[in-house]
Amino acid sequence: MASSRYLTPQKISLLVLVKLYCNSVLPSSATIPILSFILSHSIPPLPSHARARHTSGYQDYSISIRAFEDVLQGQPSSMPGRTLLDVFLKQMWELNSFDALHNLFNHLGCLLARTREDSEQNGGAGDEEDLSDHIVLSKSSPLGTIVRRARLEFTRLQFDDSIKLWSAFIMYRAPTAQWTKRIAGLASSGIDINAVDMELGPGDPLYEVAYGHLEDEDSTEENLSIDDLNRLLEFQLDQLQRLGCRVPEDMKKRLQNMLGPFGAVLRQSHLVKFFDAWKAGDYTSAFDSLHRYYDYAMQTREKVHYQYALLHMAILQADFGCFGEAIAAINETIATARENQDMTCLNFSLSWLNHMSKAYPRQMKGAGYMGMLGSERDGLIFLKAKARETKMHNLLSATLLNEAKLSLSTGESIPRALEYMYQASHLNIRENVNNNGGSMLLHSTLYSRLGLTHLSSVYCELLLHCYRQTSPIDEKIRAICRCAFAAVQTGCYDEGLDLLENIDSSDHRSLKFHQYIYHCTGIINLKRAIRRTDWTACEHLLSSLKPDSSTDPELSFLLCESRIDYLISRGLYSEAFNAIEDQASSLKEENADILQRTAMLLAKGVLFCKVGKPERGFSVALRAASVAFKARLMPSLWMAVGVLCCILNALGEYEGSGKLLHAVIPQALENADKALIASLYSSLGDSFIGLAGLDDPTSSNGARSLAAKVSRAELFIDRARECYKRVEDTNGECEQLMKKALLAKLRGDETLAEEWAQNHNRVWEEGRKRIVDGK
Amino acid sequence: MSTLSPADEAQLKAQLQDAVVSCTERCLYQSAKWAAELLNSLPSSDDNGSDTEIDSPMSDAPPRTPIRQLHKDATELRLEAREMPKFLLAKSLFDCREYDRCAAVFLPSTLPKGSINPIPSPAAKVKHPWKGKAKMGTPSKGTTSIRSVLGLSQKALFLALYAKYIAGEKRMNEESEMILGPQDGGVTLNKELSGVSAVLEEWFTNLPSSGRQPQGWLEYLYGIVLAKGKNEKLAVDFFVRSVNQYPYNWGTWQELSSLLGTVEELQQVQMRLPQNIISFIFHISASQELYQSTEQVHNSLTQILSFFPTSAFLQTQRALLHYHTKDFEEAEQIFSNLLITDPHRIDSLDNYSNILYVMGLRPKLAFLAQLATATDKFRPETCCVVGNYYSLKSEHEKAVMYFRRALTLDRNFLSAWTLMGHEFVEMKNTHAAIESYRRAVDVNRKDYRAWYGLGQTYEVLEMHSYALFYHQRAAALRPYDPKMWMAVGQCFGKVGKVMNGIRAYKRALVAGSYYDAGVGSSFGSGETPGLGGGVLDPDVLYQIALLYERIQETTECSAYMELVLAQEEGPEYEEFSGEASGGVGVTPTTSKARLWLARYEYMRGMYQRAMELANELCQDGVEVEDAKALVRDIRARIERDRGE
Repeated sequence: MASSRYLTPQKISLLVLVKLYCNSVLPSSATIPILSFILSHSIPPLPSHARARHTSGYQDYSISIRAFEDVLQGQPSSMPGRTLLDVFLKQMWELNSFDALHNLFNHLGCLLARTREDSEQNGGAGDEEDLSDHIVLSKSSPLGTIVRRARLEFTRLQFDDSIKLWSAFIMYRAPTAQWTKRIAGLASSGIDINAVDMELGPGDPLYEVAYGHLEDEDSTEENLSIDDLNRLLEFQLDQLQRLGCRVPEDMKKRLQNMLGPFGAVLRQSHLVKFFDAWKAGDYTSAFDSLHRYYDYAMQTREKVHYQYALLHMAILQADFGCFGEAIAAINETIATARENQDMTCLNFSLSWLNHMSKAYPRQMKGAGYMGMLGSERDGLIFLKAKARETKMHNLLSATLLNEAKLSLSTGESIPRALEYMYQASHLNIRENVNNNGGSMLLHSTLYSRLGLTHLSSVYCELLLHCYRQTSPIDEKIRAICRCAFAAVQTGCYDEGLDLLENIDSSDHRSLKFHQYIYHCTGIINLKRAIRRTDWTACEHLLSSLKPDSSTDPELSFLLCESRIDYLISRGLYSEAFNAIEDQASSLKEENADILQRTAMLLAKGVLFCKVGKPERGFSVALRAASVAFKARLMPSLWMAVGVLCCILNALGEYEGSGKLLHAVIPQALENADKALIASLYSSLGDSFIGLAGLDDPTSSNGARSLAAKVSRAELFIDRARECYKRVEDTNGECEQLMKKALLAKLRGDETLAEEWAQNHNRVWEEGRKRIVDGK
Repeated sequence: MSTLSPADEAQLKAQLQDAVVSCTERCLYQSAKWAAELLNSLPSSDDNGSDTEIDSPMSDAPPRTPIRQLHKDATELRLEAREMPKFLLAKSLFDCREYDRCAAVFLPSTLPKGSINPIPSPAAKVKHPWKGKAKMGTPSKGTTSIRSVLGLSQKALFLALYAKYIAGEKRMNEESEMILGPQDGGVTLNKELSGVSAVLEEWFTNLPSSGRQPQGWLEYLYGIVLAKGKNEKLAVDFFVRSVNQYPYNWGTWQELSSLLGTVEELQQVQMRLPQNIISFIFHISASQELYQSTEQVHNSLTQILSFFPTSAFLQTQRALLHYHTKDFEEAEQIFSNLLITDPHRIDSLDNYSNILYVMGLRPKLAFLAQLATATDKFRPETCCVVGNYYSLKSEHEKAVMYFRRALTLDRNFLSAWTLMGHEFVEMKNTHAAIESYRRAVDVNRKDYRAWYGLGQTYEVLEMHSYALFYHQRAAALRPYDPKMWMAVGQCFGKVGKVMNGIRAYKRALVAGSYYDAGVGSSFGSGETPGLGGGVLDPDVLYQIALLYERIQETTECSAYMELVLAQEEGPEYEEFSGEASGGVGVTPTTSKARLWLARYEYMRGMYQRAMELANELCQDGVEVEDAKALVRDIRARIERDRGE
């Protein structure tokens, strides 16, 4: 059964209720529940981002007659002993012929307030006094618009369509048949007064002609009009586009049931399919659906939607790593949008292009992108001006955040970045722009760069707590991953992995998100394996985590970093050196984030330390330290200091090294990166040993100072050992144990030395065992 | 002939069976349907009796054989046997609606272009030069192709030519413009007619010499072709020949009745018709179509119905007869029963919907529309029912849409044209209304409603002499309908022929008193529901009086005014139910008459009577202001008289 455009049995029932309300048969106590019931089922909810609205989610358009019963049963009517349900059903069953249905719609006009012209047309109208006890609806009131729309749609109906509506209505109210027995005088009229008059009943051939098909029809079929379906699909699209998720499995089935019987497949359903396929990573069918949608959209609409088709196409192409095609498409989008004066589309495309060239600079360059707007900063300024001009608050907010990001990545002043971010936040609140997720994430990034790990994870948690429902799933997952990494930093690998594992399984249904989560999990596991010196696992993980062009750039950097870490830890120094050189040059080429470039410098420094030529890494470490200090990249700074101290130790500048470390360690402790702290402590221990070595053991003063320094060194070595243990770094822990054993030996305490040595062996064995057990 | 003897009945049954088969063979589906319906409406009592011997060849064989022999002479049978495979092919092609291919099975590809009108009518004269040329140009080819046709059996020839004709009709429909579109003149011609006509003409001229027995079918087809060419007299001849040779083809009878414009024509034709049960039925239906709902027709219908007690067709005729005499209750009842017995039947439901419309039974009409739609929404009848429903709901645009759809489905669907005209009148689109009515009249000249509607529309346009002509046509068709005569009278009055007008109004009075039963209106609302016996319509009387006033015959005029007043109370007092049996009571018309009379008496100086009338007016509460002024004047006069 093809459905009507707008009218459904539910809507007729609502109209009956409206009529009841207008005829003033409602007692005043019932007014509010009834009105809110009517409105909740007839007016689409406002697109508000307030949290409370989203708990109710989408409306159920296919309300059953039971819903009416539930609402009305509790309400007493003005007639004693009757509930409102009785009155309502009486009205419902008084629609006892097709003609009565027509009359219902004809009389709806009386509910509307008359304008002057109307009453003049009707010659002054005689029923003025009639209206005194009626509620008259204004034409533009919510109820008035419902009534007017219903009337209009009914007039538009073809005869056989209105017959279908009538049949559907009979089916719809059929469950309430037993109620009619309660209402005197109505029991006899049955579903059609004509049939009763002609003494027809089920089984008579004539009755079968008129109503025989009612029994054949599937009673579970949902009564939805095209209008309802459009709204439903629009809601789906909104969810898909805003959150970037997929259509849930059960909803998909329901949608299929709803859309299945329609002769004319709705355009939007193709769009829903497109988004779904896209998110599922099904490139070909996404492509197909997109084309299909716009082909159908072409028939009815003008050419103006061409640029949107191209825009979608570009995003789709880019998402699947076809940057060349994406650039071609977006260039055409921009050209078309310019031609059609579509500022929104134009600005959005430029912004997207800007974002892409930032996120995938190498790929974009490889695909022949030369840059549309000159330098990046110029582009952002241009976009900001445009957004202000055209009042595109969304774009403005996003651009401000981009600007903040840019100033962070180039290592410019932090206050400037904060200013941009606060501007964006202000805009989000004032103009109700739903860009909170991005802003939260950026805040968290900023604080983690400043070394305020706690604040950083608080922002992530804030995002998860307050904006989980409204922000895109992408941002949600990023926040979770960030939390997981924060947990890993403190050595809580299992906690971090748990966080990732607990992500809603439905999010895995999108290919991109699945890959993102997979990579994050892989990186955490890889880090752990490196620390545990589980080289087989490392090899395995590295081979399975190879980044490709479509991997998130941030993750591919992390992967690369981990790989270098692995190579260094395993002692494959020349390979590590090559990897660092490659990465550093490519980062330079891309004009990448300053944090990443510093990290490469540091890696180089660490490598030199490891190969036993720390002095060669001096300039590198110093450069890293100065850059990190300028850009306020605190964790990098601390690490740089750590490397520097190693070098200083190696050069015998124990004093300076110890001072530096003392200055840095308290801040680093706040940061809670256990591996960093461990290395710092270990360096500190080294410098104390070094200092102790300078003391003269022969003098009593010197001997005391030596003993004190050695014991302090031992203390720091213990602390370092603790930290290494926490992060499961077997090598580090063993190293500290060795140091302890050596110290004991130096002191001449052979048994203790033996004990430490055995301890060392035990830890090593345990580490081996852990690898074998796989735990 | 109250009942049929078993032998007669068996004979009739066999003949009807044969008719169904023959009509089906010739693809005359509607005729076959009609015959089959009639066949099944015979009382089924003998079925029970023959249950046991249904298999025995004895009971079945005897009635069959004579009929076969009746129509099939040896020559035809031989020819048919020879053509069997080709005939089967042609028949299947026809059933698949491949008409041209069907025709090509038997006919040569080029048919001579003959004249549709052997006796040239004015319309055909224009084409003469071309026709002459065609005849002269290819005489040899024409004759040879005719020769080949002569070798065919009549059945094959009929099927082939009929297919040709239908192909032409189909093409004509396809070429026609949208209903009432700018190009839709209703004059698109069937281009195959001339060819078919030429072949048939040749065939019939050769008939006496060929020694073949005519079977009636070709005559039927030739009649149709002739009727299409407006050569109606000859067409009637051929139809009569056809029914004489084969009476069981109902299509022939239908065509025949559509050619009969008046009762006189019907009576003339009646002489030449065979006397059998079918011609009897024809007489009834033709009378019905000519609005002859006399006692005699009713009687014959009752008789026939006793043979075919369950015939829906005959019952419909009965209902329509009631409808024509405005006995809506009865007609409604019959239709309602028909609907119950045969719920899928849509034929003539449009008439039923007219009845429901006039009776204002909206729910029922809606139900009927629902039923019809459920059965088949693309039948012209269904569309008419729906249109009527919308019309009753005053949704005229939608009504027009549905009537238009009905006409798209069948351009010759009479009632849709008329009803569409009514709707256009309601929508004040007089030009479209006139065109619709005109088309209705072109389809069937017997539709008085269309004539009347045309008249009314022209009256709206203030073209009274035009209107007069149409009202006269309507009145001629319905001589006993006072409304028609009133309309005629009004138009006469408007064009200044006062005496003619008075005569027409008097005719209306006579016609009005003719019906004992209540006289309603065929146009729905706005009319008095009916007058009791012997009461004259005060409106008519008042109009007559006004006309007399116009020619300064004041005495006549006042007499008629008095008559109007007299209608308030009716001719005789009957005790039961006061007003209904008596007059019409006080109406605006009678009040107007009273005021006129009062003024008249005042002018004559009969102040006492004038005073009485004026006071009555005041009592009735109509025209009070005028009446009071009059009373004051009268008082003043009386005072002055006294004073003098």
